[in-house]
Amino acid sequence: MSSYFPCAGHRALHAPTRRQFLYSLGASIGSVAFTSFLSRELQAAPATASPLAPKPGHLPAKAKSCIFLMMEGGPSHIDTFDPKPKLADLHLQEFVREGKMKSAMESGKRYYVQSPFQFAKHGQSGADMADNWTHLARVADDLCFFRGCQVDSVNHPTAMYQMNTGNRFGGDPGIGAWVTYGLGSLNQDLPGFVVLPEVSYPQGGAPNWGNGFLPASFQGTPLRAKGSPILDLTPPVGITPDHQRTNLDLLGQLNRDHAAQHPGHGELAARMDSYELAFRMQMQVPGLIDLEKEDPKLKEMYGLGQDATDAFGRKCLLARKLVEKGVRFVQLYAGTWDSHDYIERAHGNLVRNVDQPIAALLTDLKQRGLLDETLVVWCGEFGRSPDNGVRGGTQYGRDHNPHAMTVWMAGGGVKAGHTIGATDETGDKAVECVHHVRDLHVTLLRLLGLDDNKLTYFHGGRFKQLSQFGGQPISELIA
Amino acid sequence: MKFLPRLFPALLAVSGLLPVPSALAEDAGALFVRRVWPLFQEKCLACHGKDEAKIKGGLDMRTAEALRQGGDSEEPSVVAGQPEKSALYLSVTRRHADDWEPMPPKENDQLTAEQIAWVKEWIAGGAPWPDDATQKVIAKANADKWSAEDGIIVPTSGGLAPEWTNRRYQPENLWAYRPLQKPAVPTPAADFQNPIDAFLTAKMPAGVTPAPLADRRTLLRRATFDLLGLPPTPEEVAAFLADPAADDAAFAEVIERLLAAPHYGEKWGQHWLDVVRYADSSGFANDYVRGNAWRYRDYVIRAFNADKPYDQFIREQIAGDELAGDASQPSELLIATGFLRMGPWELTGMEVAKIARQRFLDDVTNSVGETFLAHSLQCARCHDHKFDPVPTRDYYGFQAVFATTQLSERPAPFLPVENIRGFEERKYLEQRHRHYLAMLQRLDEKSLTAAGSWFVEKKIDRAAWDEAVAAARQQQGGTKKRRAFNGVFNSARTAMQKRGVPENQYPPKLHGFAPEDFGHERIARKGLERLKWENDRYEPYAFAVYAGRTPNLQSVYQPLRPPADALKAGELEETAILTGGDPFAAAAKVTPAVLSAANTLGAPELADSKLPEAIEGRRAALAEWIASPKNPLTARVMVNRIWLWHFGTALAGNPNNFGGTGKKPTHPELLDWLAATFVEKGWSVKALHRAIMNSAAYRRASAHPEPQQLAEKDPNGTSYAVFQPRRLTAEEMRDSMLQVSGELNPTLGGIPVRPEMNLEAALQPRQVMGTFAEAWQPNPRPEQRHRRSIYALRIRGQLDPFYEVFNAPSPDLSCEGRDASTVTPQAFSLFNSQASYDRALAFAARLLKETINREGAITRAFQLVYARAPRPAELASCLQHWDAMTARHQTLTFAPPQIPREVVREAVEENTGEKFTFTEPLEVAADFVPDLKPATAPPETRGLAEVCLVLLNSNEFAYLY
Repeated sequence: MSSYFPCAGHRALHAPTRRQFLYSLGASIGSVAFTSFLSRELQAAPATASPLAPKPGHLPAKAKSCIFLMMEGGPSHIDTFDPKPKLADLHLQEFVREGKMKSAMESGKRYYVQSPFQFAKHGQSGADMADNWTHLARVADDLCFFRGCQVDSVNHPTAMYQMNTGNRFGGDPGIGAWVTYGLGSLNQDLPGFVVLPEVSYPQGGAPNWGNGFLPASFQGTPLRAKGSPILDLTPPVGITPDHQRTNLDLLGQLNRDHAAQHPGHGELAARMDSYELAFRMQMQVPGLIDLEKEDPKLKEMYGLGQDATDAFGRKCLLARKLVEKGVRFVQLYAGTWDSHDYIERAHGNLVRNVDQPIAALLTDLKQRGLLDETLVVWCGEFGRSPDNGVRGGTQYGRDHNPHAMTVWMAGGGVKAGHTIGATDETGDKAVECVHHVRDLHVTLLRLLGLDDNKLTYFHGGRFKQLSQFGGQPISELIA
Repeated sequence: MKFLPRLFPALLAVSGLLPVPSALAEDAGALFVRRVWPLFQEKCLACHGKDEAKIKGGLDMRTAEALRQGGDSEEPSVVAGQPEKSALYLSVTRRHADDWEPMPPKENDQLTAEQIAWVKEWIAGGAPWPDDATQKVIAKANADKWSAEDGIIVPTSGGLAPEWTNRRYQPENLWAYRPLQKPAVPTPAADFQNPIDAFLTAKMPAGVTPAPLADRRTLLRRATFDLLGLPPTPEEVAAFLADPAADDAAFAEVIERLLAAPHYGEKWGQHWLDVVRYADSSGFANDYVRGNAWRYRDYVIRAFNADKPYDQFIREQIAGDELAGDASQPSELLIATGFLRMGPWELTGMEVAKIARQRFLDDVTNSVGETFLAHSLQCARCHDHKFDPVPTRDYYGFQAVFATTQLSERPAPFLPVENIRGFEERKYLEQRHRHYLAMLQRLDEKSLTAAGSWFVEKKIDRAAWDEAVAAARQQQGGTKKRRAFNGVFNSARTAMQKRGVPENQYPPKLHGFAPEDFGHERIARKGLERLKWENDRYEPYAFAVYAGRTPNLQSVYQPLRPPADALKAGELEETAILTGGDPFAAAAKVTPAVLSAANTLGAPELADSKLPEAIEGRRAALAEWIASPKNPLTARVMVNRIWLWHFGTALAGNPNNFGGTGKKPTHPELLDWLAATFVEKGWSVKALHRAIMNSAAYRRASAHPEPQQLAEKDPNGTSYAVFQPRRLTAEEMRDSMLQVSGELNPTLGGIPVRPEMNLEAALQPRQVMGTFAEAWQPNPRPEQRHRRSIYALRIRGQLDPFYEVFNAPSPDLSCEGRDASTVTPQAFSLFNSQASYDRALAFAARLLKETINREGAITRAFQLVYARAPRPAELASCLQHWDAMTARHQTLTFAPPQIPREVVREAVEENTGEKFTFTEPLEVAADFVPDLKPATAPPETRGLAEVCLVLLNSNEFAYLY
């Protein structure tokens, strides 16, 4: 570690061989002929390692990569995967919460509200699912439901930061940043950590997938849902690749002359290389994310072309393609699940948007033999309350609840076909197999072959880690 | 305190001798008291005894009996006399993982070889565990011997446990607390004009000859960027090259010119804003605009330009409001306290107010510690500091200073020195205000219309309702110039409610809404709320604090004005040590205090001074302590930062962390000499610049004639035998492009400006609490947009991707030094972006205007960008490229830019989960004057612009030598 600048990560002070740039082959890129842009996998780190060169984990890995389905806004466990028949009995009876932890949100009269959804048991495992998860129900036995997770914050951005970075206040690296810091990535021409956000960014914004104090190479790269997938990926209209090549050639010439005058200055070569890599990427990336040429049957399976499912279906299909290409960590956003009112309509629509695409993703991964080596995680930033202030007068929703939520996982190394932990009879609090979210983080890392206690980075006077202060893997979730 | 082997070379050397022959070994009982028990406390008890409820693996290590008994394994942890059979020993070796899980679990906590040897020797010696009284006797008898051998005990206000209070520190880890004394300047053989060079030479590795001085052109470019953040003009280069004075004198004159330039404050103010996390918005869920924050930004710029003595700068930022009483210009002092509020903060109705208050207190405590004292105090929030002599009691004592600090946007008349032009842009906010009112009006009418069919359907008599509606209409008509909106429908409902009419007798809230109406209602209602914050920008208020009792706030949805009865109403917070940092777990009460170790070690004469406990004056007293010349930390911290900002490396490697885990100073005497001189010269930052920049070290070339030899003898690059090159910062890059293109508007200060951002990022929808944040609308006129980057509006949730990609720090963390790593998106940003093409085209147009022939144009371009003329080959290549590109451009036509007048947003409605669209008007577009665009530029200009684009992307532009 050459420097501990919090905003800097590593900084090459006197080490001309150290080069840092996002998705790069380090020093070798300029000299190695460009052959298979999107499929090259590195078996070992080259001598002048790029920060994203693959690295062995600390433990045997159960999964190679991770697809993280972030249901931003806080999906209601009570109305999706954790049925509470008791609430039908208590429906519209007054709910009282008093004491120091009361916020303005909880003021006024509050009532228990029942779930508007019907539930049934699915698969051989008998997983509880609300009836509107019609597609996901078919892969119920691939899922491992966890009802014991708790978080600290009742506000969206802070809870999002905690779920994504471990730290409520933002500024820490996202999980994907930690994972690529620990394992590198298998494809050196693509970012190791890709984010597929909603058209509108979530509360808290880009720091949800930031690199925090880790080097910039580990930052999540959003492939934007609309417009240019990466900002300024292509030059303005009218500037063709030939045109740009001519400019690049003059740039190369000026830079080479300059480098000859500054032979000791190693960063110059890295910066020259980054322009060549950028030039190749701008031609290749649009092809990668173009789903038009995919098999129509596959597109249909993901729900492409259907109004409700097209947007998230595209993300799921793209996520599968990215993981297949060796991207280490892909995070998908769907939202907003913040249904304070009219939950029947709101959650009804949201489930319809994601149900078929997620089921298709799991099926597709399985068919390609990728599910075993891919960890799929589904969660929000918190769950929702059994009660509501009946705002709006007629239709019921639910408020934020950091004490109970449902997280499910599938794929590499998880105990599929099980439901772990439980909440109390109204869904207000987790009561069985209760774990702080830090333990969930430790578990995710463990499945990917990383030990949270070893995956540390010295910053701000101490070794920092995803779990903040250490945690325990939740053994019940691991097969 | 012995976590990091690299900090303890002396100990490692000792460990090489291990195992200690038993004949020389200490008596095992003494070893227990001196080594083993403190080791247990430091490394084991957190999981094995401190909290009975959370004992891991069933192993309690607090007593000899429990330890012998062992944990869940049901095997004894210690077998007296037999370390190899003792689970405790086997697990700390980490070499028996099959049977015994390595302990402590974290790799970074693992015991050193020496510590493992203590455990082994203690067990081998029979694992004695003397009782408390015996322990005390042993400790007392050996006190002197152990102090000499193990380091020293630092008197502090006291830890949570006596073991912490009595723990020992290696003296080298306490360097920053030592009293600041001015060391004598070494006098080596050479006759140095500048003491800095004398100190550096004294530590120059044997056999290293420093690089020669840089040539004048290189030096001028270096110094101009360093002090102004801009390139030198060709005229300045010519003048300096032609100056007949000796190099020293000529350069000294340059330094004076640069220090006197108003752009100096902008460049050095930016350094300070990096440290304090400046932004124009609150962050978190609402990310509300902080309308008045810009006045603090300008205060900082003014302070640097005026060379405000640093001790005064400290006092004003920490306690300006308390000093403002009799000041002739209280506004300036109120504005300065914006520093205390620079961290992200908000209070929404979702959050428990006390927790939000505690977040502010924790933030300000840490920020003051980090900024002025290089102490990340948050490490001591939940427990005594692991490495440094900062007990949790000090943390809360320090925090108690701020227990009466309250947040407020306070009245503060504009000062003559402030730039208050451009307020007419407020008209766009007024347009937006009318837009939201109209949206709500339309929805109101919709509900009213739908009410009719509701009554028909429910077969309910509507007479009472109609009456209420009529009354509400009349009332609404009477209100003039409404700022807030209160619809007729809602008013009628409220009236019915007040009259006790049952809820099922009149239509429900938001009645008659189509799915998108819910979204529209929310957007308009929250939009009005957000405008209150934006409108504050043009009002004479300061983003500031006051001293008072803590008001009972449940949520903060609009700027906070100071209460009339600050000293009487609300709660007088009593600060206590919070167990685990939890605001609901108050333990022992504390009173306002400073860092005790800094006093006991560094300034004993300050140790007895108590901070006041009255509501007012706490911060003034703290500021006085920090700004005292006796404070051992303050001056060292600032000179170290300034050194870093000049050289790219700091003397003490972590400017925000002077504790035991921070890097030790490479040149401690130099650091102390600079600090002492800084104080001596009245805390003048400019005097420090002069001392540093006139040194030979600063003026050296960045290339060494014998690089191989230098790399061998100075592998860490700490000799200052060469000057380290650096890449331009994001702001320098943009500002320089504007300067060379001739577009830069050099106006100082004022309300934030909004340059053009990548259009997709500008229109990127983003969620804020309950709605969507406003689009980024650039200023209408080029001269407004082309101000220096420091004046660009900085919204935490919508940072300009150009700055982000070029490593500008996130405003959520204090940044002590910029990163400059190369990442591929930089190439996209600089080579492909509309902004780069715009700068290149304006640059080309300028060249054609200012020169008479093609060679002249290219030559001038090189002079502007590189501060030199092109070499013949470069000139030829560029001319050829210009020709080729002009030919290409003759075949190209460009459409004039389309300025979007509105943006249609797609969103998922929170109430319904359904997609809906809404249209956000872009009011500024109507007046928008674009920069020079290809559509209106002739092919020859466009061809030259391609050459300019290449120059602006080249390494020679991007790096400073």
